[in-house]
Amino acid sequence: MSSSETGNYEYVSARVRSRRAYLYGDEEYRRFVRMGPGEISRYMEETTYAQEVNEFGARYKGVDLIEYALNHNLASQFEDLLRWSEGELYEHISRYLKKFDAWNVKTILRGIYAKEDIERIRDDLIPAGEFKSAFLEQLIGSSDIEEFVNLLEGTMFGEVLSKGFREYEDTGLLVPLENAIDRCYYQQLLRKTEVVEDPSLVLYTDFLRAEIDFKNIMNALRIAHSGSEIPITEYYIQGGKQFTAAKLSSSMKNLDEMISMIRESTYGEQLSGAIEKLEGADSLISFEHELEAVLLEYCDRLSHVYPLSICPVIAFVLSKEKEIENVRAIARGKEAGLSPEEIEKQLVIS
Amino acid sequence: MLETIFDLLANNAVPLQEHVSTDVVHGSLPKAAAALGVGLAALGAGIAERGIGAAAVGAIAEDREFFGIGLVMTVLPETLVILALVVIFLV
Repeated sequence: MSSSETGNYEYVSARVRSRRAYLYGDEEYRRFVRMGPGEISRYMEETTYAQEVNEFGARYKGVDLIEYALNHNLASQFEDLLRWSEGELYEHISRYLKKFDAWNVKTILRGIYAKEDIERIRDDLIPAGEFKSAFLEQLIGSSDIEEFVNLLEGTMFGEVLSKGFREYEDTGLLVPLENAIDRCYYQQLLRKTEVVEDPSLVLYTDFLRAEIDFKNIMNALRIAHSGSEIPITEYYIQGGKQFTAAKLSSSMKNLDEMISMIRESTYGEQLSGAIEKLEGADSLISFEHELEAVLLEYCDRLSHVYPLSICPVIAFVLSKEKEIENVRAIARGKEAGLSPEEIEKQLVIS
Repeated sequence: MLETIFDLLANNAVPLQEHVSTDVVHGSLPKAAAALGVGLAALGAGIAERGIGAAAVGAIAEDREFFGIGLVMTVLPETLVILALVVIFLV
């Protein structure tokens, strides 16, 4: 049982836990909300973002500087995770981080579809996945969706995308392609963790299933909210633990029914706060944020139960992502001239 | 393994008188066992320190302030060996 086979869990979780301690907390967010973009970037310079803020400080200003610093810091922190880890742990982390490949591919796809400016697509990419930046550049440069799909041939998305592309050609909707990417990502995650007996991996699989469940709920809620008639099977991701496609589609027409379905599931207890909020307000965003916070809490709990597993790493990845999203929301909110109270509503604080 | 040691001792001890030789052998047996015990304790401590040491180095790499506590935690299983060493004086 050498560490190169099973992974160096002790080393990685110690480093990851230490890094988590440096993430911004409620207090910082509250302070950021009352600062301007310049002050925020100056504050960031004194914390973990020092290198990125200095690097981009000469080229960008204000919100753009914050955005670049955030994205590049995220990428470099996740690269660190891969650099530290060995063996089995490395495999798990790299599979999980393909999330950003999926994100980037989706972003570029939407950009091409909307005929967005190349520069603006590039700004939204998070270079934390497996695809090299040269390849991403190639993808951004593709003139239409067909070329884009052809370029991705041979990657893990290749097969499902070419299937989705045929549907896209018929309908002209982006949904089948986007869902193909999401499904493909979760399938490759679950495939490797299905037949395991290690209790920590069983819990990890549970967590992934919960993540899929939450994603399905969010998708269903969004569709129900927008009042469109897209059938549930179009975007349903297989592998969830609680909600089947049939269950979701029967209750999605009525928001109250949906809420009671979530309440009756095993998440009901943990989500009670979020469910109350959803009933109170008609804003979907606050409910989505609550869902994210609950998922984070769930993962946090797992990382305490099994400290020597992948769970602390995933908890770190999730909370780092939340941090990036929160700081970005604050900066963008400030730029748009929102009031501090309105911005605070956009934050995910666990 | 003990039997091999026993045989070795029995064959190599020069017997002045028959009963002296068995006394020598019987006298060294507990000592051999104690030595083995200390060795095993050290092995156990080593295995325990592997994980703790890795975690400590990870924590120190992030923040040098962990050096003191990391060092203490890393050598904590060493107490196993010290306790096992007591056995040497008891036999």
